[in-house]
Amino acid sequence: MKPVAEVSPTAFEQELLGAVSAVHRFALHLARDPVREKTYLRALAHREQYESGTDCRAWLFTICRNVFLKGEARAGREVATEDATLEAVAAAGLHAGLQGTDPLGAVFEQPELAEAVERALTKLPEEYRSVVVMVDLEDQSYAATAQVLGVALGTVRSRLFRARRLLQEDLLAFAEDAGLLERRKDGAR
Amino acid sequence: MISCREVIEQLWDYLDGELAPERMEEIAAHLAECARCYPQYRFEFSFLEAFARHREKLPGPPQALVERLRLLIVT
Repeated sequence: MKPVAEVSPTAFEQELLGAVSAVHRFALHLARDPVREKTYLRALAHREQYESGTDCRAWLFTICRNVFLKGEARAGREVATEDATLEAVAAAGLHAGLQGTDPLGAVFEQPELAEAVERALTKLPEEYRSVVVMVDLEDQSYAATAQVLGVALGTVRSRLFRARRLLQEDLLAFAEDAGLLERRKDGAR
Repeated sequence: MISCREVIEQLWDYLDGELAPERMEEIAAHLAECARCYPQYRFEFSFLEAFARHREKLPGPPQALVERLRLLIVT
């Protein structure tokens, strides 16, 4: 066997290594350490399934989530598809409640809110958290997210919109409690 | 010009760059002129920016893990 330093990784292996940070973040929000390593072990064992030239990160996210679901024995569980249009309208309702206090969302720029973002994210049910991590943290498209999570594109939209609204509710409640934002008059929480 | 309702219903899609180029332009033009819709656009934009900042602060993979993977890959 050649010493490690003398062996050049193939293009596939380079892509795997290049995706370590993204997979780390994704796994971090799904579950625990073993998921990350199992993801790579499975990717290496099934390297023939990777299509060269496609998005290696998306392929790894799919494996990562499958590893997680298998560990949690949650594969096949599906929440009902909600209506994305209703979620968009609900977002407008939430925003309407802030007309008198923070209509432009200046509160989201407060450094004190940074810690609350991670906490709010971990409180989300997995179905919503996966979508928001894929789209908002990993810059994946709706289509790529749908493929990775094995759900319809409409489900990605509705889950994403609901997840964002739940996160906003959580962050705004935190900001009100911390005195960063004037409490909404209607007491919406 | 498209209606405020249409803009609000597609605001997230717009912010995520998920619409056809013509629709993106229509919504951008609407937001540039509409005092009702623009604040919500700014609000949602600020929210997404908070997440982008959050991503930058997340810890990277432990060096030990990266090294283990490197060994796993090249051996």
